[in-house]
Amino acid sequence: MERQHDVLVIGAGMAGMRAAIEAHELGADVALVSKLHPTRSHSGAAEGGINAALGNASEDSPESHAFDTVKGSDYLGDQDAIEILCTEAPADVYQLERWGAVFSRTEDGRIAQRPFGAAGAPRTAYAADITGHVLIQVLYEQVCRRDLLVYEEYFAWQLVEHDGRCQGVICWDLLNGGLKAIGAKTVILATGGPGRIYLGTTNAYACSGDGIAMALHAGVALEDMEMQQFHPTTLSPTGVLITEGCRGEGAYLLNKDGERFLERYAPHAMELASRDVISRAEQSEIDEGRAIDGNVLLDLRHLGAERILERLHGTRELSLVFAGVDPIYEPIPVRPGAHYHMGGIDTDVWGATSLPGLYAAGECACVSVHGANRLGGNALMETVTYGRRAGAAAAEFALSHPTVEVPEAAERDAERELKTLLDRTSGERPWKIRDELGASMLENFGVFRREDAMEKQVEIIEGLRERYRSVVVEDKGDVFNSDLTQAIELGNMLDIAACMVTAGIWRKESRGAHARPYDYPERDDENFLVHSLARWTDGGVALDTTPVRFTKWEPTERTY
Amino acid sequence: MSTRLFQVWRGDAEQGGLVDYEVEVQEGMVVLDAVHEIQRTQAGDLAVRWNCKAAKCGSCSAEVNGKPRLMCKTRLDELPEGQPVRVEPLRAFPLIRDLVTDVSWNYEVNKLIPPFTPRPGVEWRMGQADVDRITEFRKCIECFLCQDVCHVLRDHDLKSRYFGPRFMVRIAALEMHPLDGLDRTELLAHAGGIGLCNITKCCGDVCPEHIKITDNAIIPLKERVVDRFYDPLPIFGRRLRSAR
Repeated sequence: MERQHDVLVIGAGMAGMRAAIEAHELGADVALVSKLHPTRSHSGAAEGGINAALGNASEDSPESHAFDTVKGSDYLGDQDAIEILCTEAPADVYQLERWGAVFSRTEDGRIAQRPFGAAGAPRTAYAADITGHVLIQVLYEQVCRRDLLVYEEYFAWQLVEHDGRCQGVICWDLLNGGLKAIGAKTVILATGGPGRIYLGTTNAYACSGDGIAMALHAGVALEDMEMQQFHPTTLSPTGVLITEGCRGEGAYLLNKDGERFLERYAPHAMELASRDVISRAEQSEIDEGRAIDGNVLLDLRHLGAERILERLHGTRELSLVFAGVDPIYEPIPVRPGAHYHMGGIDTDVWGATSLPGLYAAGECACVSVHGANRLGGNALMETVTYGRRAGAAAAEFALSHPTVEVPEAAERDAERELKTLLDRTSGERPWKIRDELGASMLENFGVFRREDAMEKQVEIIEGLRERYRSVVVEDKGDVFNSDLTQAIELGNMLDIAACMVTAGIWRKESRGAHARPYDYPERDDENFLVHSLARWTDGGVALDTTPVRFTKWEPTERTY
Repeated sequence: MSTRLFQVWRGDAEQGGLVDYEVEVQEGMVVLDAVHEIQRTQAGDLAVRWNCKAAKCGSCSAEVNGKPRLMCKTRLDELPEGQPVRVEPLRAFPLIRDLVTDVSWNYEVNKLIPPFTPRPGVEWRMGQADVDRITEFRKCIECFLCQDVCHVLRDHDLKSRYFGPRFMVRIAALEMHPLDGLDRTELLAHAGGIGLCNITKCCGDVCPEHIKITDNAIIPLKERVVDRFYDPLPIFGRRLRSAR
């Protein structure tokens, strides 16, 4: 065993770093494991903003924020978890400001807030259009200030379970090679989303859901796996994200006839309806032949050059480089892309999973605050608030429990598994399997789902998993072997995809991001106002359910 | 479907050289796409860092045709046709393997810079103009292309005496934060080595975020150092005031 710690955080994005900072504040010996340098994490790509009921732009309240979130979740979100998020959010945002985050300001110098999708009041605080980037730097500065140990470019591979507790993790050292076991009284998974399962995604390449797979293989249940959000404005074919902030500033979405088609789908909120509503509207326009080359148009021209250059300079640059289009003069061709996963590792409101000593926070976790659909600006907020809470809970557990043991058997088994993988010389290269997974998921488990396509997808995934058993890693070396880590990531993605589609077939209704307009177009509160729970068994994915937790709001029809 | 010749540097600190790869290219492809294609079908052990492919994470820095560039942001159609595309690691940093370099010196320098520390009792209000000024610096994605091109670091190997342009930007973001209470002028003048910068502005030329590093960060910071340590009038003025 390399070393041991009280709290080991896997993933050094916003949730991971916030958790680590909090655990350290409470006196725990903390370390982070990250397969990337922390500030390369995908939290840094978030642009639009972070939601909190600060009340700087208009009358607002945590209750209003909570209601918008509950409605946005299509009533699948756990209301106690949502109330906690919305109540604690303002203090968390002010804490970020005190750590040096430079938010855009109002006329009188307070933190500015702008309107965002499906929000009843403007409550999205923002730092120009680089909010996630600023916040990840701020958190990293706090990590460095506390001298927290980061196992950088360590690829976390397997959780160690012993004596009914999570006792650490086995990693592959990407820089130098070799397996390293790190013991920990508690492990917090903060590894982000699995967007790379899809071919068209806004997610970075590292978003392969490693933590979700590790929890799954350790016997922990995954909640609401069928809930995948498609962001309405992504570039094709790269999947590069064009921020919702554009629509917050007043951009229009047009079809090939120049029509603001949302008039027909969300006449009140129009371009600021929630993401699932807009993605579905776009997909319908695309499917019904009113798109151009599979894209609709995001039109910023009427905002004027000055406003675009001042508030949306990053967007303009992305559009120029990755779409070859200048939004001052031309609309940007966009389409829905896999963006955020509402589901994930089942946790309670303190980030604890069913395995003692194992916690999760951020996109990889499902508390659930987002239910069947996430509001823009709530993801960054979740990473901070629930990252903090998971850090606090893990520290408390670690400081009140005896020390750990990584059994030698666990290390030996991992060594053997690795050797089998690396020794293989004939078989299939990972990229082909990965490409087929990505394309088939987009086709059969995209914005619109149907029974026959999903059943077909389950078989496709089975076939890919079979082929994966003989996957070949060409690079047998020790130094910077990303061929090996990518192969392991692929295995993770295949298992996660199997859970996603199985849960999708089970949910025979349309709710939030899970849209089945052809076979089950309506929401079915009588039978499906429950979360899906997926577990890994020898026979395949086993499904169960758990009730939604209600506090104040009864489900009603959800329109914008 | 056409192909283009890529020459990618392969090897480690001991030995290595450019290796030819013929790659099928398509409209809109960037250098990173070609590198991935090489990894997939021709050289599964090609070592390279990348992540977001949207010019935000700063991972995929390299030298393309001799210029420090982000590989995900360098379109093939902006490189001269009929010539091989040369892809090499950042030469200012020790090589690990192929296109992966050891940029950890930068992370060590970062730790020497005192972080944001608010003035005691400060009121948390700021003007948008102040926020805009430091947002420009905060755009930095730490791709280290500026560090790579700076001749002080790259050619004169003075990493022990100059922090480099990226950290001038970082210190500017802290010093110009209206609510920060620390003074990093001494750090700039001595350990930071700001005097070694002779304003050739190569850093700004390669910055993918178009930060005006020299004009907006380095020169204003140099002025503070001069006021404090070199300009006789302000120095005399301060002595007079403190003598009273």
